[in-house]
Amino acid sequence: MKRLLPIAIFLGLFILLARSLFVPQMDLPSPLIGKQIPSFSLNELGKSSTVTHQDLLGDIALINIWATWCVGCEIEHDFLVELSLDQDLDIPIIGINWKDRDDLATRWLIQKGNPYSKILSDPIGNTAIDFGVYGAPETFLIDDQGIIHYKHIGPMDRQNFEQDILPRIVALRK
Amino acid sequence: MFLLLPFQVVPDDLNTNLTATQQELYQGIIQEVRCLVCQNQSIAESNAELAKDLREEIFQQVEQGRNEAQVKSYLQERYGDFVLYEPSFKQSTYFLWLSPILILILILGWLRKIGVF
Repeated sequence: MKRLLPIAIFLGLFILLARSLFVPQMDLPSPLIGKQIPSFSLNELGKSSTVTHQDLLGDIALINIWATWCVGCEIEHDFLVELSLDQDLDIPIIGINWKDRDDLATRWLIQKGNPYSKILSDPIGNTAIDFGVYGAPETFLIDDQGIIHYKHIGPMDRQNFEQDILPRIVALRK
Repeated sequence: MFLLLPFQVVPDDLNTNLTATQQELYQGIIQEVRCLVCQNQSIAESNAELAKDLREEIFQQVEQGRNEAQVKSYLQERYGDFVLYEPSFKQSTYFLWLSPILILILILGWLRKIGVF
């Protein structure tokens, strides 16, 4: 019995430490999930009208943080356009153009297609900080009350959309 | 003199309307906040865009007279515990914080048992 004690301690520690090895390190949980989207008042891209957080309520929607300087956004863009054309899915994608120039952003959308139902411009990046953004692209799924249900970090594609986001949209619509 | 230079924080935020105490507070906070883009640097050391933005935000909050706990909880609400190098004391970190004491007690018990004292 006495000899077993060190072995028991060893095994206990081994299991505890080994477990944390397999928890994915990059998967930073957002503390904003389950909470209301932060309040903001931003200009619409290329327009003088302002949009506030309250204007986003009423629809289950995706909020996509993007910029023209962001390589991941370029990879993701075609898929966003594809999503926006999907009549059955019919989900509005709201873009937040992050630390970018309006003219560059406008040109990018003319060249690559515009998947967004609304685009807000956050040149200083204050709203992005309130969203807890640390790298574009990031995508939030919100319900019609503006509650954040999921955050996707990095480029979306068909595979991760169908695996992580679509089931949540379906569940919200029930 | 030159040897000291690399250890100075890059003065992109050295316009000082801050009092000496506020400056100290600001410097203290930015060294305890993790840069999420580069992860193994504090935002004091990082030149990533987001780190600059966060420094600016913290600077403004300190300027407005907010204290360390307020600034830190502002960041935690948005970026989670991971943003702070020093994890807060709560249920999921009890083991982390208390394990050194636990191990100390075990060792003392063991030393006593084998008759060291």
